[in-house]
Amino acid sequence: MGKRLLKAHALAVYVFLYAPIAVIVVYAFNSGRQVLNWDGFSTKWFGEALRDNTITDAFRNSLLIGAGNALVACVLGTMLALALPRLPRLLRLPLDALVMMTLVTPEIVFGIAALVFFVETGIPLGLKTILIAHVVFNASVVALVVRARFTGMGEELEEASYDLGAGPIATFRQVTLPRLAPAVLAGGLLAFTFSFDDFITSFFVSGAGTTTLPLRIFSALRFGISPVINATAVMILALTLGSVVLAYVVLRRSSGGREGVSAVPGL
Amino acid sequence: MRRRAWRAGGRRRGGGPRYPGWLALPAAGWYAAFFLVPLGFVVAYSFAALEGYAGIAFAWNLDNYRSLWDPLYGGVFKRTLGLSLFGTAATLLVGFPFAYWLARYAQRKTLLLLLVVVPFWTSFLIRTYAWLIILDPEFPLFRALHSVGVVGADLNLLYTPKAIYIGVVYNYLPLMVLPLYAALERLDWSLVEAAQDLGDPPWRAFRRITLPLALPGVVAGSLLVFIPLTGEYLIPVILGGDKTVFAGNLIAQQFLEAHDWPFGSAIAVVVIAAMTVVLVAFSRIAARQETQGG
Amino acid sequence: MSDQESFWQRGVDRKGFVAAAGLAALAAASGGRLGADAFAAVGRDEAGGELLYYNWADYVNPKTYPAFEKATGIKVKKDFYASNEALLAKLKGGARGYDLAVPTGYMVQILAQEKLLEPIDWSKLPTVKKNINQKFRRLPFDPQDRYSVAKDWGTTGFIYRTDLVKERPTSWREFFTLAKTTYSGKVTVLDGIPEVIGSMAVMLGYSYNTDSKSQLDKVKQELIALKPHLLAITSTEYKQLLISGKAVLGLGWNGDGAAVAAKKPAQYVIGKEGGEFWVDSYVIPVGAKNPDAAHAWIDYVYGPKANAVETEYTYYGSPVKTSLLKGVLAAEILGNPAVFPPPNVLAKLEPNKVSARGTQLRNRIWTEFKAS
Repeated sequence: MGKRLLKAHALAVYVFLYAPIAVIVVYAFNSGRQVLNWDGFSTKWFGEALRDNTITDAFRNSLLIGAGNALVACVLGTMLALALPRLPRLLRLPLDALVMMTLVTPEIVFGIAALVFFVETGIPLGLKTILIAHVVFNASVVALVVRARFTGMGEELEEASYDLGAGPIATFRQVTLPRLAPAVLAGGLLAFTFSFDDFITSFFVSGAGTTTLPLRIFSALRFGISPVINATAVMILALTLGSVVLAYVVLRRSSGGREGVSAVPGL
Repeated sequence: MRRRAWRAGGRRRGGGPRYPGWLALPAAGWYAAFFLVPLGFVVAYSFAALEGYAGIAFAWNLDNYRSLWDPLYGGVFKRTLGLSLFGTAATLLVGFPFAYWLARYAQRKTLLLLLVVVPFWTSFLIRTYAWLIILDPEFPLFRALHSVGVVGADLNLLYTPKAIYIGVVYNYLPLMVLPLYAALERLDWSLVEAAQDLGDPPWRAFRRITLPLALPGVVAGSLLVFIPLTGEYLIPVILGGDKTVFAGNLIAQQFLEAHDWPFGSAIAVVVIAAMTVVLVAFSRIAARQETQGG
Repeated sequence: MSDQESFWQRGVDRKGFVAAAGLAALAAASGGRLGADAFAAVGRDEAGGELLYYNWADYVNPKTYPAFEKATGIKVKKDFYASNEALLAKLKGGARGYDLAVPTGYMVQILAQEKLLEPIDWSKLPTVKKNINQKFRRLPFDPQDRYSVAKDWGTTGFIYRTDLVKERPTSWREFFTLAKTTYSGKVTVLDGIPEVIGSMAVMLGYSYNTDSKSQLDKVKQELIALKPHLLAITSTEYKQLLISGKAVLGLGWNGDGAAVAAKKPAQYVIGKEGGEFWVDSYVIPVGAKNPDAAHAWIDYVYGPKANAVETEYTYYGSPVKTSLLKGVLAAEILGNPAVFPPPNVLAKLEPNKVSARGTQLRNRIWTEFKAS
């Protein structure tokens, strides 16, 4: 009985989670401007969104910043995750705390702090400053993901590698890195996602003409939800879903004996 | 020769390959330069004063903090604390049974988990604005609920605190669900079943076995929800009509509308201090859990 | 190990390939554009090519952009702010590269004092010199025409739905009383410090620009009494709220009032006690990448036809000589008192000229008003 109750609760949660998404998708196809009146099916808003160069420019900026900061965050975060467990306690605890702080500090606080910093140091606001600010919390994201993978990995393979005579760099390249790679990539994907959807920090440290997609959406949304923005959101959603499906297909094809596949009953 | 020394070093430590500490330097340097220094500036600004229309005069006094001592701002901070507590409790209440079901009973776990995350691949702003449509009295939802008699005819949630609460639970739910699921998923459910076979009523088994093992997830989720919530300001602006003000709104206003960066910095310092206290408390709890073999 | 593997390990292996493929797909989709195109457009000077126009949203007729591009070959990129204070915050915060912005008069003065403006080169504005109504030269906030050229002008008053409001309020006192009683919960005010505080001050009989602490304290009390009756505090959504009827009373600008009246039965009123007369002006923010393009835009929109196109869309008063507008601007707009108020109404209005001290007091009041 409890089981059925739980299942019903879960279903309700899914409905709750998807309600706004359904609204967004449905009204992206509404030919009328007014959201509350259904005027018939139309795909014209998608075309309009693609033709609007402020939207495509903002999309490009968000991609650039997202990819760039994912790269930097991966490098910084992975190195941090590898070094952290071996550091003496005196260094490890404060660094751990710092990683935690960068993740939970409310964005408004970090956003204004970053703005004040750039103003005081005279660094001009622009794509660079957004990227710098994003890396601060994304490096921590990558570090956490990699560390979770790293600590559960076990060192038998590395020790075996040394027993066979390989040096530390070779071992890292041929043994550790491949095993770490999925975590690094996952962290990178998370970093990209957080950066792509980031609003508050970006709002404070963006310069003239460096609009990211969330910033562009915000300036449009101030007038109420617009069909063009809905269409943009649906396209982004489709793009992300598409990438995931693509990745899943690639994974299924290339698996053959990977521990990941056999161990995941869900898919 | 070098290789053997490396191996020896690794073996002696008993912890495998030893990565040099300097690997942590780039990240640490980045944090220092682009996180700690900015926060330091904010603290410094909090002791300054507004000069003219938008200038800063470093007066090095506590005036901003004295102004904050006003019961009006005390009310804002109390309201913020209330929102954070509510958000944490609500997401826990909704999220725990969900995560439990997902971890224990669900068939296609990864797919279902992915389905939780997918809505959050749309823009946060659009998701939140969409709630304005759902909560609109003219939207079919309310008409339907009203015809069934669940709600009164004049219920208007737009731009009310209730709308803010709904928006908060909606946007912070995954932050609670994911860590909860991660913890619950590790559980060996056979233990629970065994306890029940031995005669324990279900709630007893839950309390004695499930709950302690799920606790790290509860702590992690609570942290991930509570602390960022103390700075939340967009949801009150979008869903609350910019009428209900929390600490995050105060800070944003000072930087965007009123130009009083020093005053805004002082408010930010208060939020940072509160956040640090919570973090320290949580880490103590977590440390104690570890030593108790949790 | 495999059975007890944590969520992270199992999820992450899969996620790893998800991540790889995802990033690859996205990169492929943007392809070569990411490389050359993107970095070329970012940060380099494109003299003669682009204008970065930082403006209030909905303040330019969408038709004007392509018309301008056709006439001059300059492409227009846009960015938006929702209040003068937000503009100041952005510029003060170090945003450089905007070519053109449109602050209200009092903000022009503040920006100039904060050294955030580049001087205007009038030799590049022949059309403006020919067509501008001389009343709009040497305005009090820029007596030497050094930094600004008038864009349009307007007033701040209130709007109400004539079909949803039985009364016919003509004064600020009536507006605020109705807001607190009959129509509580259906009232909006602008998200603007000067407008809301100033209008309340005028209702109490003070100057719009008062900086007397005792007077402003009374204003604060009235504002706090008003707060619980408000539906929302917004400068951008109130037009829609009035059109949809969710709000029936709104403190706002005359152009928005005329826009609402064009769609639904509504009336824009300047309160009997007085109000604000404002002029919005083009300025060139410091650090502009293409000031020539900014001058080109200003000169273009002063052509009578282009200006009529603008006025038809925004419903705000034009600074172009009325004689030139007679032929091109629709008569009902020229004669609309909400768009071009008669002189006797204008006489009661004050431009915003708050002192620094007054601004500080108002900012504090605004913070407390919003927090109450």
